[in-house]
Amino acid sequence: MRPVRAALARILGFFTGHRRDEALRDELQAHLDMETAENIRRGMRPADARRQALLASGGLTQAAEAVRDQRGLPWLEGLAADLRYALRALRLSPAFTAVVVITLALGIGANTAIFSVVRAVLLKPLPHRDGDRLVYLRHSMDGPGGASIAFSVPEVRDLRTGAPSLGGIAEFSEWTVRFQADDGAVRIDVGLVTGNYFDVMGLSPVLGRLTEPRDDGPGVPPVMVLTHAGWMKHFGGDSSVVGRQVRLDGTSVTVIGVLEPAPFFPGRADALLNMVISEHHTSAFMVEGRTHRMTEMVARLAPGASVAQARAEVAAVHARMQRQFRDAYDPGSHYRVTVIGFKEVLGERARLTLWLLMGAAAFVLVISAASVANLTLMRGVRRQHELVVRAALGAGLARLRRFLLAENLVLAGMGAILGVVLAVGGVRLLTALAERYSPRANEVRLDGVVFGFTFAVSVTVALLLSFLASLPREGSFASSILAGAHRISGSLSKHRLQRGLVVVQIAVSVVLLAGAGLLTRTMMRLAGVETGLGTEEVLTIQVPLLTPAELLFNPASDAAAKERYDRMRDEIAALPGVLDVGIGSSMPLRSSGVRFEVKAEGKALAAGEAMPRAEYRTANPAFFRAAGIPLLRGRPFAATDHRGSGRVVIINRTLADRYFPGEDPLGHRIAWTGDVLRFTPISGEWRTIVGVVGNTRDGGLDAEPRAVMFMPFAQELAIGGGFAIRADSNVSALAAAATGIVRRIAPTAPIENVLTVAQIKEQSVSPRRLNAALVSSFGVLAVIIAAVGMAGVLAFSVSARTTEIGIRMSLGADSGRVQRMVLREGGVLLVSGLVSGVAVAFLAARGIRGLLFGVAPHDPATFIGVAVMMAAIGVAACWIPALRAARIDPAITMRS
Amino acid sequence: MAEKLDVKQGTLALMILRTLDVLGPLHGYGVARRIEETSKNRLALNYGTLYPALLKLEQEGFVTAEWRQSENNRRAKYYALTAAGRKRLAREARDWHRTADLIAAFLAPRPEAP
Repeated sequence: MRPVRAALARILGFFTGHRRDEALRDELQAHLDMETAENIRRGMRPADARRQALLASGGLTQAAEAVRDQRGLPWLEGLAADLRYALRALRLSPAFTAVVVITLALGIGANTAIFSVVRAVLLKPLPHRDGDRLVYLRHSMDGPGGASIAFSVPEVRDLRTGAPSLGGIAEFSEWTVRFQADDGAVRIDVGLVTGNYFDVMGLSPVLGRLTEPRDDGPGVPPVMVLTHAGWMKHFGGDSSVVGRQVRLDGTSVTVIGVLEPAPFFPGRADALLNMVISEHHTSAFMVEGRTHRMTEMVARLAPGASVAQARAEVAAVHARMQRQFRDAYDPGSHYRVTVIGFKEVLGERARLTLWLLMGAAAFVLVISAASVANLTLMRGVRRQHELVVRAALGAGLARLRRFLLAENLVLAGMGAILGVVLAVGGVRLLTALAERYSPRANEVRLDGVVFGFTFAVSVTVALLLSFLASLPREGSFASSILAGAHRISGSLSKHRLQRGLVVVQIAVSVVLLAGAGLLTRTMMRLAGVETGLGTEEVLTIQVPLLTPAELLFNPASDAAAKERYDRMRDEIAALPGVLDVGIGSSMPLRSSGVRFEVKAEGKALAAGEAMPRAEYRTANPAFFRAAGIPLLRGRPFAATDHRGSGRVVIINRTLADRYFPGEDPLGHRIAWTGDVLRFTPISGEWRTIVGVVGNTRDGGLDAEPRAVMFMPFAQELAIGGGFAIRADSNVSALAAAATGIVRRIAPTAPIENVLTVAQIKEQSVSPRRLNAALVSSFGVLAVIIAAVGMAGVLAFSVSARTTEIGIRMSLGADSGRVQRMVLREGGVLLVSGLVSGVAVAFLAARGIRGLLFGVAPHDPATFIGVAVMMAAIGVAACWIPALRAARIDPAITMRS
Repeated sequence: MAEKLDVKQGTLALMILRTLDVLGPLHGYGVARRIEETSKNRLALNYGTLYPALLKLEQEGFVTAEWRQSENNRRAKYYALTAAGRKRLAREARDWHRTADLIAAFLAPRPEAP
């Protein structure tokens, strides 16, 4: 306790010390007076008495200084004085200060902004209680769309009994319901969850209660827990919402509570409901069907259990399932289950992009710090005189060091403040980027931890800058003073540090430019991908009239829905400028999300070969023409392909190549197959192929085209549903009129994804464009800083060597020779920077392989282009000081 | 006159505490005089040594200080021992005695071999 008390007293003294100076003077004076009086009493003359007393005191000023050191925090007081002095000194060189502050602000701002996103999306602990004990189980298989296929209820049951390391398993089934709001119906994403869900996830309500095991099973009242986001979005955060009845899919549901803010995976959710809302989820189909996979699993590790244990147990259970139910897991598709930390899985899509940006920002900071270091080094040389004078007046090395530190702290502090201002703007942009990749983007903020990071970065930069500068060596002061401290050391070789920093700047610029080049080429490749559609003048509208429940359990609703689709189609077709209107279950360039195994008549699969799968889509006769999907063979659907006629299909090229390589598929028969068909209203009858259409990029522009099988819209149930509208020009102008028609005919139906083909493409391209733009702007920034840095160092070298160059010229060197000399100096730096930069970029490019599309990480064109560009900029940067050197007039320099 | 000694680090605090213990509340001059006298003028105590030490003791709570009139009607700052100071004095005095005994035993003239 004593040291604490003493420290507190000193801190107090630091603030109140100046008020106590007077008391201290009085005390010392009293001492002196008493001693003088005593001396007089002993018989000295008054003048001698006082002199003796003063001698014995050891000096009043020194004593006061010693007490002051003990009283407050002398180091801090000294620093405060240094800071004041530094501010004054910097005000005298505003250009230097401005350049340094802006350079540092760019580096610090970029790092602050990107760190705030990295922290929120990847690092921050989850809001869930003991969130690091949560694991996500991923079921996957080979083939497009097989990355995550969810679990069936029997599979969950097997894992629950066979893997005791999973202490609790929360089941979450993604589902959409039609929510009747005051201003029309919307389709909202919800999760159907088991009663133990919230307990396992470790989430608490902010209002009301959450579902419990008593809410499980059929025959209980349907209840809804709003997620925090859903509560804000649909109810504006109204706290009287608990207990209210809302209509979902025509059923009355009670809102029982509101959940604390938390991220969901794999999809977002506006509300969580007990299973009873979906007749389907409580039916035998779902509960007994092993291949009916609709459930996502998040588990909480049992106390003491490790992830490794859980992995081993899950693998054992999965192997047993595969042995026991051969039909459900065709060996060629390589079914597998992986156990991933929940926090990791939430960040997995954002991770690579964010670390790329963090790395780029770190590079920008390195380069800006290097450039500032060079500026301060040069300033340091010019100020050697001042430092020598200070040393001569008694400042020790430590004192000089502290003075430099104070100055750099001021610079870094101002840079940090400006950087944070820049970061505030950047965070908004980055949050928009992060939203595409992470459910945790709404957690991004500039909070204490982020500011702590900024502070640490700034102080580190200040420390580095202060200790880079070389101070006059102790003992060399005298000679420096003798020399008048005007002779600035000249040759560049003496400034190895400065040259090293220039090389670093060039190398870092090359790395950033290479990254920017690769990402830009990726973006351009992506934008150049053929969508497979013949035109971009297509508007798509998704209007799901029927809910999955209606489709499954109310066959009568189908005919009515189709009649309404036809009416909408007719009215939209009558709009001016419309060429064609097609009706289909899902729109091109979007995944239908419905995929089944396909078999072809007379085509056996080789042993171990994966069962081919295709997307399920329906289309009316005009659909292909309207969407611009080219017909490669056969005929489009016709009005004669109706419910009563023979079942026909049109397949896309990928599916045709899969089953009929080198053959004409027309006339062959093909069918949906697989155990899972049992749970759907889709027939497994043979269907005759009447046409082949071109591929479209339905899984995103960067994904390979998927196999698709189209059926006549009239022959199948109206699953999904929407329009492809083609116009002669300016199709986006039709959006308002077309949605108006839909709204009038189906006032309560959700209207979604009203997008032109160009807009859909843009959705694929824009995140990449943002990546490329961010890294490119970092790259440009780096190049500018590096070029200025290089020109600065050479210019400094030239001005320091004016006399030497003057002598050379008077001895016969012509201006061309002088120019070459300077250029050679710069060239050495440039080449070293280029070589090391290309080497580092080569290694770094491998790390961003996952972000590239259509371009190899070691793409020679990019690397050569970057090297040439950097070399050109570097030569230009050398040229200016070289010209200046060549223009030196020997007569003038020799005289001065 | 004998050579003057510097005050060893850490021993000054003990001397001050002991002085205040024996003489009661005292100003800085009094403390200095007393220490010099006790050391038979072998210790010289300048202000720059004495006053920081007094302040440190005050910060640590071993002494308190207040302004008072001195015997010859002069305003002076008087230092007085606190309970914590008394305890520290006792402890340090004991430690010093032990150390001194130990060192003395080591430095004792070798007994003549029989």
